[in-house]
Amino acid sequence: MSFIDRIRELDDKYHFINAYAGDEPYGEGLLSGYAVSVKDNVCVKGLESKAGSKILEGYVPPFDATVVVKSRAEGGIIIGKTTQDEFGFGTFNVNTPYKVPLNPHDVERSTGGSSGGAACLTEVADFKHVAISESTGGSISCPASWCGVVGITPTYGRVSRWGLIDYANSLDKIGVMAKTVKEAAMFLGVISGPDKYDSTVLNTPVPDYTQLGSVEGVRIGVPKEYLGKGVDHKVEEQVWGSIKKLESRGASISEISLPHTKYSLSSYYIIAMAEASTNLAKFSGLRYGLQNPIEGDFNQYFSKVRAEGMGDETKRRIILGSFTRMAGYRNAYYLKALKVRTRVIEDFKKAFKEVDVLAAPTMPVVAPRFDEIAELEPIQHYMMDILTVAPNLAGIPMVTVPCGNVDGMPVGLHLMSDHLNEVKALEAAQEVEQG
Amino acid sequence: MNATIGLEIHVHLKTWSKLFCSCTTDIDGKEPNTEVCPICLGYPGSKPKLNKKAVDFGITLALALESNIEPELRFSRKNYFYPDMSKNFQITQYEVPLASGGFLLVDDHRIGITRVHLEEDPAKLTHVGGGITNARETLIDYNRAGMPLVEIVTDPDIESTEEARAFLEKLSLILDHLGVYDPTAEGVLRVDANISIEGGNRVEVKNITGFKNVEKALNYEVIRQKSAKNMGVDIVRETRHYDAGSGITSTLRLKEDEEDYGYIAEPDLVKTNLTEDWIGRMKASMPELPDQRINRLELQYGIPRFQASIIVRTGLQMSEFFEKSCRLHDDQKEVCNWLVTFLLKSLNYEDMSLSESKVTPETFVEILELISEGTISNRLAKELIKDYVKTGKSPRKIVEEKNLGLLSEEELGKIVVSVVNEFPQAVEDYRGGKSKAAEYLIGQVLRRIRARATANDVRRLVLEELD
Repeated sequence: MSFIDRIRELDDKYHFINAYAGDEPYGEGLLSGYAVSVKDNVCVKGLESKAGSKILEGYVPPFDATVVVKSRAEGGIIIGKTTQDEFGFGTFNVNTPYKVPLNPHDVERSTGGSSGGAACLTEVADFKHVAISESTGGSISCPASWCGVVGITPTYGRVSRWGLIDYANSLDKIGVMAKTVKEAAMFLGVISGPDKYDSTVLNTPVPDYTQLGSVEGVRIGVPKEYLGKGVDHKVEEQVWGSIKKLESRGASISEISLPHTKYSLSSYYIIAMAEASTNLAKFSGLRYGLQNPIEGDFNQYFSKVRAEGMGDETKRRIILGSFTRMAGYRNAYYLKALKVRTRVIEDFKKAFKEVDVLAAPTMPVVAPRFDEIAELEPIQHYMMDILTVAPNLAGIPMVTVPCGNVDGMPVGLHLMSDHLNEVKALEAAQEVEQG
Repeated sequence: MNATIGLEIHVHLKTWSKLFCSCTTDIDGKEPNTEVCPICLGYPGSKPKLNKKAVDFGITLALALESNIEPELRFSRKNYFYPDMSKNFQITQYEVPLASGGFLLVDDHRIGITRVHLEEDPAKLTHVGGGITNARETLIDYNRAGMPLVEIVTDPDIESTEEARAFLEKLSLILDHLGVYDPTAEGVLRVDANISIEGGNRVEVKNITGFKNVEKALNYEVIRQKSAKNMGVDIVRETRHYDAGSGITSTLRLKEDEEDYGYIAEPDLVKTNLTEDWIGRMKASMPELPDQRINRLELQYGIPRFQASIIVRTGLQMSEFFEKSCRLHDDQKEVCNWLVTFLLKSLNYEDMSLSESKVTPETFVEILELISEGTISNRLAKELIKDYVKTGKSPRKIVEEKNLGLLSEEELGKIVVSVVNEFPQAVEDYRGGKSKAAEYLIGQVLRRIRARATANDVRRLVLEELD
């Protein structure tokens, strides 16, 4: 049975593919023999790439994302596009007119989002597979932890965003998922590094992420703001269990404070929505994606296409995002959010003077049931990101690694390190993985 | 006409490629939508990449306009929905421009330069079956999308429509000297003007292409505003559109409907440090500016200042033409006289610019050589130059073809003899003591030879023949 046949079989059951790629030749390199799945918002030349949105239905990019080019160069085989929340707007991968992926551990539950399809496929794959995924505020860590796989969100600027259909450019990071820390780390090494097509990529050389040492002598900090209220105590227990394990392997554990945590959620959503609302303006039913017969004037035409092609959450974010940057509100919202972001970064910078790695639960609860999600207000959706948005806002690298189960559902440990110091978080993750 | 005027001038920079992608800027006459790529079309997944050459040009211009250059170059997104925008936002500069606080002297009047900034041009719209408000359909050509623009914003220091034109002429001369724009390209210079008269509100007129239209549009506006004032009608604060076809302005939107562009920082472009070193390099490679050139021409060639000024103001090509001609011909004052008095006049008469004509310094100095070596008379040379400008043919060749050279003593003698024979009465009168009769005969000869000999030679030979 070929990759594709097996994936189709699994997809029928768990619903994670938006578009299948054609056959590709086997190649040589670090990814030789690996199937590489690509989140729907990362462009693959000749393959419909719609970022989970109807307004981009039929958009076939005329170019490959840099991460796709780099994956193929190491022998990886692109197998298709994985489902996601529309443009990445969501925590449960339910905000999409396309497939809603099902959690492999309980199909009544969410995979998490927005990279839900990537996490789902990574968990169910019984062949060599790595996933190209993407995070703006937690879209790698959340689904990876809920599906029980390893997810790496690298430092902002470590991986080229050329070919990524933007959500919020100053926050978007392409990252990876895999079954093991070693595979994820290897794959991160493949896609990282400078790229002439993305000015925001850092020029720093890429270390060998597979050369991981022990945690002997590593200082681990546990942010007090990330535990307690709002975090399920059973989840917390699992997390503490793995932190203690790290201590037993020679790491030192201390409590640390990130005082601006409580402002990070507001700052994050303001910046993300402000940028998103400008990014989404280009989708007007001209040139590519959803098109209607030309009727009325330009304003009437594009308003109708957008009304049809965009989901509720997308419209909500356009309205909120436009509001935060309007004259008269811009100072109070958009510009203030940028200032708060600086404070959040300072929090982390200060913390990383005292410790090497921060450890916390990735998500405050295990994957919720679809019927529970339906009951949540939009603000409760946003609250779910409370543990992941601050490190995403700061652009620091983070790794989620499975650290146990609660009621049969996986729990993830979130390990964060300083900018460009992915290795430290990966070392701790590998130690946890080895049990 | 007196008014208070501030201008926003958009100029296409003459880089090889567009501002944020590698598409060519050579788009004149190209099939629509052929010089495009995912970046200038704003395709999902594409990212802009700053063209450093455009920054070089921007710095050079800012220096020429005595502006203060900011240490960091940043871009913003200006957000509005319009069909000429591939992304429905324009990448431009907002809070911090490339440079600010400069000035330009126009006949000793200091016009403040508020800011100089870089931005991308939107696509070009062609309205079919009507104007901007009532077209049946509108065609979009994205070849122009992403073309590098520099925007120059003046303080409201301009005091008349004539001064607005003089300002623009001087600015374009500077742009030309700096080599940052191509004055012959289509729509290379576009202007939005803010204009008010005493007691009235400020009115913005958008979309004026070319200097002549600026003066026309502004004159129209001043007259419109003055007559409104005379009739006791309020001049409301608004944005008006200039239609070059009809030469009139019409309301586009009122001030209350002013758009809110919801600017944010462009997150796909990092800040670019405009280092001392970079600016220093631009300063060091700064070409000569028009005012400096006028001074130099005056000193170096010993020509009157007003002539140096005319040569330089005509355009960079004319100065180059003059200097090259001076290298080819020793009498530089003569070069200057002939160029300013006759060459320019003939070009104007033919309504041709230097580049449109086929004249060259090499062929131009032939005229001066023909005079100084005695092949043609001054008067015939003045005739010849018209033909020369029109056709671009070598003057020496024209002289040969049209037989315009001076006559030899022998040829002239033959004509004198034939005229004397033709008018026996005049000869008799002369010999009878009427010396005026000789003048009649000289006149007859001159008429026959049409400036192919000097009057002195003709007089000498006629008198010799008579005596």
